[in-house]
Amino acid sequence: MSAKEELLKRLSDGVVDMEEDDVAETAQEYLDAGYPAFDGIMEGLVDGMNRAGQLYEEEEYFVTDVLLCSDAMYAGLEILRPYLPEEAGETKHKGVIGVVEGDTHDIGKNLVKIMLETAGFDMIDLGRDVPLRKFVDTAREEGAEFICMSTLMTTTMGGMQDVIRILEEEGMRQQMKVMIGGGPVSQKYADKIGADGYSQNAVEAVKLAKRLLNITNDGLGMR
Amino acid sequence: MSEIKDFNCTYDNSAGIHADVTKELGLTFPDAYMHGDTMVVLSKALRGHNGAAFCELPFCHTVEAEAMGGIINYGNEKAGPRAKEYICTSVEELLELPEIDFTTGRIQEVLKACEILRGQNEQTVLQVSGPFTILNVLIDAKHVFKAMRKKPELMKEVFWKLGKEVLRFMEEAKKRGVGLLSYADSPGGVNILGPKMAEQIVEDFTYPFLKKAELLADGDTMVLLCPKTVFALLGTGKAELREIELQEPLPYGEACIRMKGRAKLAGQMCIKNVGYCLENRIFKEVVLR
Repeated sequence: MSAKEELLKRLSDGVVDMEEDDVAETAQEYLDAGYPAFDGIMEGLVDGMNRAGQLYEEEEYFVTDVLLCSDAMYAGLEILRPYLPEEAGETKHKGVIGVVEGDTHDIGKNLVKIMLETAGFDMIDLGRDVPLRKFVDTAREEGAEFICMSTLMTTTMGGMQDVIRILEEEGMRQQMKVMIGGGPVSQKYADKIGADGYSQNAVEAVKLAKRLLNITNDGLGMR
Repeated sequence: MSEIKDFNCTYDNSAGIHADVTKELGLTFPDAYMHGDTMVVLSKALRGHNGAAFCELPFCHTVEAEAMGGIINYGNEKAGPRAKEYICTSVEELLELPEIDFTTGRIQEVLKACEILRGQNEQTVLQVSGPFTILNVLIDAKHVFKAMRKKPELMKEVFWKLGKEVLRFMEEAKKRGVGLLSYADSPGGVNILGPKMAEQIVEDFTYPFLKKAELLADGDTMVLLCPKTVFALLGTGKAELREIELQEPLPYGEACIRMKGRAKLAGQMCIKNVGYCLENRIFKEVVLR
């Protein structure tokens, strides 16, 4: 194994093992050795996050584990990202994500955002308890292609339908995909309110977003 | 691997404030969430609307956290009070939060509402929150999860600091005639924590906490548990179910009221699922080992 490969493996393993400090240290060491930041991100950090996602899918890791893995990944990204070369004309698929108004449970939303970002999507995170109109306004202003909404509470599920209604009223529904998720949400509910898709977990959310946006290649590079 | 099962919350239950109820009451929101007398009006109206055997209080899961310093968005008639912004950025800060003063603020109003409802011969279910629900108002969950992995002893202290306040709240409510003390902590479910961490929480907190809470049960009071908590106890071997035969099929809430004095803990269904009927006449007491 070359010195570069060894460092990439350490980055990847550090993410899987949730060792934020180790990842940050290794990322600096990797840069100091003169290796390209892009490879460090894709073959180190994103590789680690994909492995964490795989473990999550296999039920070896759980929500809390993946969140901590992502902390480690972001610690590395903070160091490597400034050293990425500028690339003109690159476009990423953009989405808006948030927890609907009235609810503040954002763990699941954070996880979906992390996995979508890891998969190369540009996610605008509106946070939790998001006024319904803000989903639509932000999507319009930012030129997003899809909106992701979540809630853990039965009382606030209706807000998702309101967002779809606002999209229709504003003539934006045709060009905007809507994905929903969260504890009490189901495919049945998605069908009922006319959402484009429902996903049960963060890994499925990535597959769903790719399917809805007809993304068939793996050309979504995380930057 | 642990055998903790998950209970899925569904949306076809009584949770929430219904606009068609509130518009006829002449209440203003969020003011109605803040005062004992308006809480009573709202709670009774919702009881009638849901066809429930009991009134529920409060209308959110932020009362305990607010009483410890949490910042709340009081909401409106559609969406009730919820967390606004976090007040802690480290778990160490949580240990510095004040004890609850039950003679002031919204928590005092909730207790006042309990007392009024008791005076009107209403059965009241008081929803009390577990530590994860309270923490959701006070601090970003990522700090909690990280500390649970890196500083488990410190987190145990945090859980017990909050747990003691919850116990005090339950005691105060019991003094004011609340017959059904309902404990839930759904953000701390196995679906979020995973089996290993969920088992650890039962061991470090939930089981010993409920051993204390069940001491509040007597002829007038029963402790209700969220089915997520029940599954966690059963899956870790900390509890078993004891079947009690009812004389007739009953809605779950009604059965709980009738079982006061015969069962200390119950939790075979979510208490918010008011339409759930024990058709087989089997009431299941949760018995801690």
